[in-house]
Amino acid sequence: MSKADLAQGKVIRMSLLFRVQHLLLTVLLLVLALTGFALMYHENALAQAIIRFEGGVQNRGVVHRIAAVLLMANMAYHIFYMLLSREGRAEFRDFLVSRKDIDEFLQSLRYNVGMTSEYPRFGRYGFKEKFQYWGTSVGILLIAFTGFMLWAETFSMRVFPKFVLDLALIIHGYQGLLGFLLLFLWHVYNVHFAPSVFPMNPSWITGKVSAEWLRREHPLEYEKLKGEGLL
Amino acid sequence: MRKSLMTAAVLLGVALLAAFASDGQALISLEKCTLCHGKPEFRKLLVNGAIRDVFVTGDSLKGSVHEKKVCTDCHFDVSEIPHRERPKRVTCTHCHFKGNKEGAPQSDNVLAYFESAHGKAIAAGNVKAPLCQDCHGDHQILKVKNAGSKVSRGKVAETCGRCHMEIYARFKTSIHGVALEKGIPEAPSCTGCHGEHRIYAHTDPKSTVYPTKVSEQCSKCHASVAIMSKYGIEAEQVATYKESFHGVANQFGSRTVANCSSCHGVHDIRPPEDPLSMVNARNIPATCGKASCHPGATANFAVGKIHVDPKKKEAGIIYWTATFFKYLTIGTMLALIVHIFLDMYGRTRRLRGEQGR
Repeated sequence: MSKADLAQGKVIRMSLLFRVQHLLLTVLLLVLALTGFALMYHENALAQAIIRFEGGVQNRGVVHRIAAVLLMANMAYHIFYMLLSREGRAEFRDFLVSRKDIDEFLQSLRYNVGMTSEYPRFGRYGFKEKFQYWGTSVGILLIAFTGFMLWAETFSMRVFPKFVLDLALIIHGYQGLLGFLLLFLWHVYNVHFAPSVFPMNPSWITGKVSAEWLRREHPLEYEKLKGEGLL
Repeated sequence: MRKSLMTAAVLLGVALLAAFASDGQALISLEKCTLCHGKPEFRKLLVNGAIRDVFVTGDSLKGSVHEKKVCTDCHFDVSEIPHRERPKRVTCTHCHFKGNKEGAPQSDNVLAYFESAHGKAIAAGNVKAPLCQDCHGDHQILKVKNAGSKVSRGKVAETCGRCHMEIYARFKTSIHGVALEKGIPEAPSCTGCHGEHRIYAHTDPKSTVYPTKVSEQCSKCHASVAIMSKYGIEAEQVATYKESFHGVANQFGSRTVANCSSCHGVHDIRPPEDPLSMVNARNIPATCGKASCHPGATANFAVGKIHVDPKKKEAGIIYWTATFFKYLTIGTMLALIVHIFLDMYGRTRRLRGEQGR
């Protein structure tokens, strides 16, 4: 953290490499959702307009697959980065789910309904961030697996009976819908509409958050940074 | 000069004669024709040795739609008896056009015919292509509703089969051909799918059996619960096709993707239990495995229902998975919305607490 940042009360929360990964993820997921749901709801007039915009149903498939391959590449890079780099390994440790997260989730529920006066004190990542991170990861893996099955449909049908592919199609579509709605309701609320960040948590662009925000939302992380003399 | 005057006079005379003759057309009575044509032995030996039967009696038109007509109403080029030349083929358009005053049906079918594959072939000089009378018959033309008509539901396939012989043979043993034979009233004959006067080549986008139109054509009967339930056939096959990858691509104009007949056959459609059916489980690997479709298809392609509707319980595990996801999604959304409101409520309290401090 540079002196100028500290003077402004800013703390780096997302490094450049993570911001690039996050931006790629955002764009690619939007492209995949747009092309995917256009096919899923092909009877809808808007969906048909989208398919025409993408150059017909054949090209829609091509765009969807290109975006999917890029997303897989992004994901592979992310996995390597999380496991092999120093920064990634530290992040990965912070993202591991433990008993504490469940307790904190239950405590936050109790607090929200007024059964306790203590709100949980989160570290770098609380249950909200972890749920989002692992939910997205598992969701993408599931969709990717079924997606590749459907892509290589002749090969898949040689290996699996036909109904497995029907199943793959159902899972691919519904999991996509679930994931997309989760991202929209949960993530967009947390980073845009939640009162503490409205209108937007700027860290996905600037990489920085205010130290004050960190103190309120992630007090343990704030204290850790302070203890390390970084604040 | 005299010579040319003479020529002019002769020409004028001929023209006048012709005018009188055409006026006299209707005057040539049936009796005059049957004088010769009414003898059973009145036949013409053709150059190639074949015999042309030209036997006609006063009863030849009886019962037909042209019952009240006389010979020269159609054979209007016969202006003298006996006629010296062979009368030309009858031109039905003489009366059959929209706006005619002869009492013929007011229909554009003749115009449609000229646009059709048959009409175009005639225009291109194909002498084998059919004219009106090749399908409708000559003297005994009956209304299409009349079972004896050459173009009636029961007989039209045979009529088409006179030229389209191989197709007729295939159709006859197909489920539609057999049903037609049994007298099932909804069973389609040739015209049921191809149209009547508006028959186009299947490669013509105007055709009712053009690749992107096939499913629409089949759905006219196969999507009708009223018809299908009578014979124990599922009526949702069209809907499930339209929801499938094949159907969606087809609806967006793909001509290479499978339509109904790609898998079920065209004229040789048979029920799936029939070992000769293209969709019999044993034949599915070959049917799906066509070089341009899924080369290398195995018996796995036949494991599981093809026309599957995830919204129906009969779909088994597919239905249950879809239902699971449906409620999982609804449940998650509800939980999230509740949680978001709780979170906002909690945050407000926290904010108040901090301000109060």
